[in-house]
Amino acid sequence: MANIQGAGTKQNTYDAIVIGSGISGGWAAKELSEKGLKTLVLERGRDVKHGDYPTATTESWEFAGRTRLPAAELAKQEKQARTGYTTHPASAHWFVNDLENPYSEEKRFDWMRGYHVGGRSLLWGRQSYRFSDLDFEANAKEGVAVDWPIRYADIAPWYDYAERFAGISGSLENLPHLPDGQFLPPMEMNCLEKDVKRRIAESFGGRPMIIGRVANLTKELNGRASCQYRNRCIRGCPYGAYFSSNAATLPAGYATGNLTLRPFSIVNQIIYDKDKGRATGVRIIDAETNEVIEFHAKVIFSCASAVASTFILMNSKSERFPNGLGNDSGELGHNLMDHHFKVGASGISDGFADKYFRGQRANGIYIPRFRNLNKETARKDYLRGFGYQGSASRLDWASSIKELSHFGSKFKADLIAPGPWRFGMGAWGECLPYHANRLTLNPALRDKWGQPTVTFDCGWKENEYAMRKDMKASAVEMLEAAGLKNVTGFDDVVNSAPGNCIHEMGTARMGRDPKTSVLNKWNQVHAAPNVFVTDGACMTSAACVNPSLTYMALTARACDQAVSELKKGNL
Amino acid sequence: MNSFSPLSTQPESSDVPMMTRRAAIARAAMLLGVAISPSLLTGVLQAQPAAAAVGAAAKPVYLTAKQFEAVSAIADRILPRSETPGALDVGVPAFIDLMVGKFLGEEDRKVVVAGLAELEAASGAAHGRGFAQLTGAQQDALLVTTAEAAKGKVRTFFHQIKELTVVGYFTSERVGKTVLHYDPVPGRYDGCIPLAEVGNVNWTK
Repeated sequence: MANIQGAGTKQNTYDAIVIGSGISGGWAAKELSEKGLKTLVLERGRDVKHGDYPTATTESWEFAGRTRLPAAELAKQEKQARTGYTTHPASAHWFVNDLENPYSEEKRFDWMRGYHVGGRSLLWGRQSYRFSDLDFEANAKEGVAVDWPIRYADIAPWYDYAERFAGISGSLENLPHLPDGQFLPPMEMNCLEKDVKRRIAESFGGRPMIIGRVANLTKELNGRASCQYRNRCIRGCPYGAYFSSNAATLPAGYATGNLTLRPFSIVNQIIYDKDKGRATGVRIIDAETNEVIEFHAKVIFSCASAVASTFILMNSKSERFPNGLGNDSGELGHNLMDHHFKVGASGISDGFADKYFRGQRANGIYIPRFRNLNKETARKDYLRGFGYQGSASRLDWASSIKELSHFGSKFKADLIAPGPWRFGMGAWGECLPYHANRLTLNPALRDKWGQPTVTFDCGWKENEYAMRKDMKASAVEMLEAAGLKNVTGFDDVVNSAPGNCIHEMGTARMGRDPKTSVLNKWNQVHAAPNVFVTDGACMTSAACVNPSLTYMALTARACDQAVSELKKGNL
Repeated sequence: MNSFSPLSTQPESSDVPMMTRRAAIARAAMLLGVAISPSLLTGVLQAQPAAAAVGAAAKPVYLTAKQFEAVSAIADRILPRSETPGALDVGVPAFIDLMVGKFLGEEDRKVVVAGLAELEAASGAAHGRGFAQLTGAQQDALLVTTAEAAKGKVRTFFHQIKELTVVGYFTSERVGKTVLHYDPVPGRYDGCIPLAEVGNVNWTK
């Protein structure tokens, strides 16, 4: 990376600035640079080139503590550890040091962050589903929060566009509320999954169970290899077989010759010129030297993640925007959402004892939402719905430690051989956008660069709790109908704290009215139209499906609009 | 794509040589024109010899000699040598020594150290000898008593020592490569195959 600091205004001027290099930022970088804009991507963390994934091929015996980090290391990531999987030695280096990056909690909020080029696109769960008009119309029909300013028809071609480039494997199902996409061949279900699928369809009037739609390639695409079935995605994939900024969008951007990426660049604020009614650039702090530098551009894409983009807008105070850039509505920081989950059921099968599988599939099954779709499926106890993600496998040594007094040669033999088949699934539920769920700036607690930090005040409410009862009961009901034994429901509501699902959304929402929303239908800040926010902050509601594919589509759509408006001289 | 699977060409019990993994990655990369950074391939190569160091380290670094003797005896009773290697064959005591010394949190560490002391006390009271000097049957009886007392509780001494033994064993290189099915780059997924094809053992994870 060339050292840009100290250069004059002209050298620090680009056509476009993109804040963040994760899923949304990578897409903005690709789209804007491919459309001919000289584009600067500012990433607060270190650089990670595709392939620089230090644990990608490390075996368990090559980690000093096998499955654990030393106690002294874990102490630096106590909040990052709350998911139960992030601080494994294979992936802990992708998550922040909580001591250096503090935040505050009025109520528990699990904020998982990856500060490096690629951001959480290296770490994501890769499940990729489209929203439908069931989702886009829900707020308006139910009088909840504000209406989305777009409908499915507005985003459908951009889903097509995003899927073709990202590479999403999946099956065509013709479900109106879970629209089909431009899919690569679906992954395969295993024996028990196929059996459970058949039995659920028989018992529940054709209720579908499908293979997960996942951003793992099942055919090579643009020089990226197909999935090798190692199930080590979170470490970074040397084959580029799942979609990440590092493997896909950033290389496409670099190929244009128009893209510059500056790591260690913490965007402190967006600079606004009240006479022009436009933002003129950003002010950054160099994370290594603490130097403050300004960069200028005609358009600015904030893609730093929901919380970080909101922080930047809030911290961008000026005479015109005393409460944060674009915060005329007072909604900035409010309506914080995540999905609630860690509730479902599991059971054991006494069949297929002579069957097994080959390969570690980085994907599971999906049972699309089946509640509140129409009159027949309407619930009186809650709004919206949920979908299940799950899988079948055979019990192995890792799940057999609990039988305390069983040990010795027979115990060892039992652990070496595959145990019975087990099917487990958990629900991902929609959370409503509540004005009361919010984040605020905390000037009393500063980070190591002297910036204010964030305080969360967010919790589930009656609708989510009522939904969880059904999420558990319906899982038990389906698995019992599927003939499984020892079916056990679970509801780990404590560890399904907001943030734990890592789908933060809604804190700079899109809307039709500048009085009640921050962004317009093109993701432009109402009162600063050359600032676009296309990460999770823009979401007006959460739906029950994983959101990243929607960020990709919205980002590509917003980039197209930005360039079109630039050409017309409107920005 | 299934040509990348070492299992398709090698008997289940053989070590998958270093070159297989490296070659598989490089081959897939070459076929598809993906750039793999040199540092990654170097990492693959360098990671291998270090792993061989997990051997039969017989001296503790963190535990006392007496504690280490007891840990070794317990691990041997939990996963003894049979037609497959036992816990002592794959360095489980050294692993537990390292875990107690550097990896467990303070609370867990205290529980393990106190549990070892209690086991020694029980052994002395019942037989007038240290736990490691008891017969296998006497050791088993004391361990069963300890296990029974732990039922319904969480993270007791027995929970932890058993977990450490099982994890240390199943994440060891020898077990991963010669007891379980080692296939680091399967290259494909088959959802339903006869178990007999893979000889009734779990995949290495």
